[in-house]
Amino acid sequence: MRSYWALARGSFMVGLVYRFGFLFSILGNIIYLGVAYYLWRSIYQGAETLRGLTFNETYLYVALGSTVFILLKTYADWEIAYEIREGIIAVHLTKPLDLQLLMLAYSLGATLMNLAAITLPTVLILTLVFKVSIPLGLGLALFPLSLLLALLISFCFDYFVGLLAFYIDSNWGISMTKEIIITVLSGALIPLQFFPAGLQAVLRWLPFQAIYHTPLMLVTRPDQGWETFLPMLGVQATWAVVLVVLTRLFYGQAIKVLRIAGG
Amino acid sequence: MRTLARYLRLYFIIEAQYIKARMQYRADFLVSSIGMFFSSLATLAVFWILFNSINDLAGWTFMEMVFIYAFYMIAISPMQILFDHFWQLRFHIRQGTFLKYYFRPLNMMFYYMSEMFDLKGLTQLLVGIGLLIYASTQLEISWTAARVILLLVTLFSAALVQVAVVLIATCAAFWVVDSWPVLGLAWKLREFAPYPMSIFDGAFRFTFTYIIPIGFVAFYPSQLFLRPEQVSPLVYASPLIGIALFALMYWIWTQGVNSYTGTGS
Amino acid sequence: MSLIHIQDLSKHFKILNRRQGLGGAFRDLFSGDYRTVRAVDGIALDIQPGEIVGYIGPNGAGKSTTIKMMTGILKPTAGTITVNGQVPYANRIRQAQIMGVVFGQRTQLWWDLPVIESFKILKEIYRVDQATFDRHMEVFEKLVGLKELYSQQVRTLSLGQRMLCDISASFLHNPQVVFLDEPTIGLDVSIKAKIRSVVSELNRVRGTTIILTTHDLGDVEALCRRIIILDKGKILFDGPTKKVTSLFGAYRTLKLQIDDFDDTTLSSLREKLAGRFGRDHGVTVASIEELWTDVTIDQARTPLSDVLNFIMKTFPVFDVRIVEISMEKVVQQVYEGALG
Repeated sequence: MRSYWALARGSFMVGLVYRFGFLFSILGNIIYLGVAYYLWRSIYQGAETLRGLTFNETYLYVALGSTVFILLKTYADWEIAYEIREGIIAVHLTKPLDLQLLMLAYSLGATLMNLAAITLPTVLILTLVFKVSIPLGLGLALFPLSLLLALLISFCFDYFVGLLAFYIDSNWGISMTKEIIITVLSGALIPLQFFPAGLQAVLRWLPFQAIYHTPLMLVTRPDQGWETFLPMLGVQATWAVVLVVLTRLFYGQAIKVLRIAGG
Repeated sequence: MRTLARYLRLYFIIEAQYIKARMQYRADFLVSSIGMFFSSLATLAVFWILFNSINDLAGWTFMEMVFIYAFYMIAISPMQILFDHFWQLRFHIRQGTFLKYYFRPLNMMFYYMSEMFDLKGLTQLLVGIGLLIYASTQLEISWTAARVILLLVTLFSAALVQVAVVLIATCAAFWVVDSWPVLGLAWKLREFAPYPMSIFDGAFRFTFTYIIPIGFVAFYPSQLFLRPEQVSPLVYASPLIGIALFALMYWIWTQGVNSYTGTGS
Repeated sequence: MSLIHIQDLSKHFKILNRRQGLGGAFRDLFSGDYRTVRAVDGIALDIQPGEIVGYIGPNGAGKSTTIKMMTGILKPTAGTITVNGQVPYANRIRQAQIMGVVFGQRTQLWWDLPVIESFKILKEIYRVDQATFDRHMEVFEKLVGLKELYSQQVRTLSLGQRMLCDISASFLHNPQVVFLDEPTIGLDVSIKAKIRSVVSELNRVRGTTIILTTHDLGDVEALCRRIIILDKGKILFDGPTKKVTSLFGAYRTLKLQIDDFDDTTLSSLREKLAGRFGRDHGVTVASIEELWTDVTIDQARTPLSDVLNFIMKTFPVFDVRIVEISMEKVVQQVYEGALG
């Protein structure tokens, strides 16, 4: 009887939980959007522009940033580290599949799901509840391409940190450190324009801003021409290629640990 | 009182063993502490960047924000260090392993939470203390004995508020199979605690003050030290709020523990 | 006076009748359409100090629900239950002090700590004094050879070692009653024997009452003088194990895979066996799993080897397994009046 009880209870709650979970994540988003609204409103304090950005632009950047953040979090670092520790990785190696592509495919799937379940509702809330207008322009059209490149770069960081599990027992600390560095330096929380000038100059050359700042700027200021967007996308694409190559080289090194030590 | 002494002694014995076992992975501890250090400073880094463009945030200077943030760091560290096992509750409940906590002649919450002692959380505490000392020196806050006592009392009650908010969300696991969204929401709300509540108005301020009172984790009690002349009487009630909220959380926990029948065998 | 006294005990759960589809799931949110499941349905029993009782039954019979009521986790829907004269759920902590519990699959020791540290922590939790602790540890050392495991982390123990440690730990505070849930599950024969001898020795030395739930009739046969068979929340049988084992201990099931199995195979097998061994031969034929034909034999009446030889000669058998009688089979036989 006990097992029937458990089954019935379980299926009831699983049925309940999807709507329940969805509701809570939407609620969480609304609260975040609200908090960000009040925060930036009191930062602007009626000023027309700050650092060349209007309140509407900055708020759109920050609000959209929160959902893009969810889109680009691949969790590949946790996933790979888990598989390495549990020895599941060996199973992958017996298959005629490329680990990096496999993991990327997983991440892409999750991103698409989040796009439908979280990003689109958030954009709706932004426009309907918070009355934020989303400007149209060339940048908006380039946004999907830029997002894809951003995902690739973000994935490479996660993948790299995941592979470190070949060398260390637990990568909680490294994952955490990576997360914080990317979150702060990529402009995920604040547009790069707000950073001190010196820091900004350095950050423009690093791959972090290519993850959040570039795609978000495309949406925030879409009314510019190719001469602005092409270099931005160029930097993104370059970083994507460089990081893919580097992580592949690193994988070749890391996998030797497994081959020698036997997982 | 005898019970309290016994539990303290037990806690000490269990955690001493845990720390000993953990210390076998010294590199892991080191790397985790570094991760914790960076994550402790993330929000502060955001404030620092913002204050490049503004002079004050709703009337609060950067150094005052550092003080509030330091208060927040210290107030959330007991949760991190002593209650870190809460993350696993939903897995224990779903897999039926929660049953074992019923079989010892111990308070169940004590027994459950004693199975984890998060050493890296000490980093959070140290960062908080360091920042508090730095900010209060910069702000020239004079620490009289009475103020130090007030600080300890308010920190204690702020910690109770924070623990209560997160654990109430955690208790959802007793009734819902996948309680992550509830917990995730509470965890996210907690991150807004160091913001000046005065930037909010309407429903938000009401919610953060009366419904999910994260304002009492850092902002309101900090006012006692930053702007004692402007403090609203409600702030003096913060120890009561902490105790009441903790009691409510414990009641919900007890309800959950009683309603759980142990799915699976 | 009996240690455990149970009278008219029932535990009913309410389960929501789920509707189909998304709309149905939404209506379920507000639905009051429950059906009652009687997990335990009016049982009565008394257990005396020092007894080892086998508490058996198929999955979902209500064993675990009864145990949870005895240990004070669940509150009964109706009826009375006292352990050591006290109502278990009225004061869980007081009750936990006089009980020990072992779950077959999951350790209750501290996963990351060395074995000896777990025992030291238990010593503090149960307030065992040093002299008693030392005396008990000596007993465990003699019975289990615990000392060589002292410095090992619990996580590194084998399943059998872990079980021995868990069982020892459950006796550390000299409880009046110990609940053992599937203590031999997943273990090989030699470890099973070891565990059985340790349990029976601890019971003999300490006089501890033991309630054993298991799927392995061998455990019951080796340890328990008394057996309680439970099914669908009711007690089917409560009496001497001997009576059950004399009946079922003799039973073995031949599991056969027969070539060219078709609709007629079962009936032709039945007929041929009846022709060879007579109608009242204690041999029954059934097909429960696909591909496998079960022939259950009462060895008291017909030797297993004879049946096997006969079948092998008469039918194109390509695989054979011999298994002891299953719990489900025992319950089925009891229903059919086997215990009179």
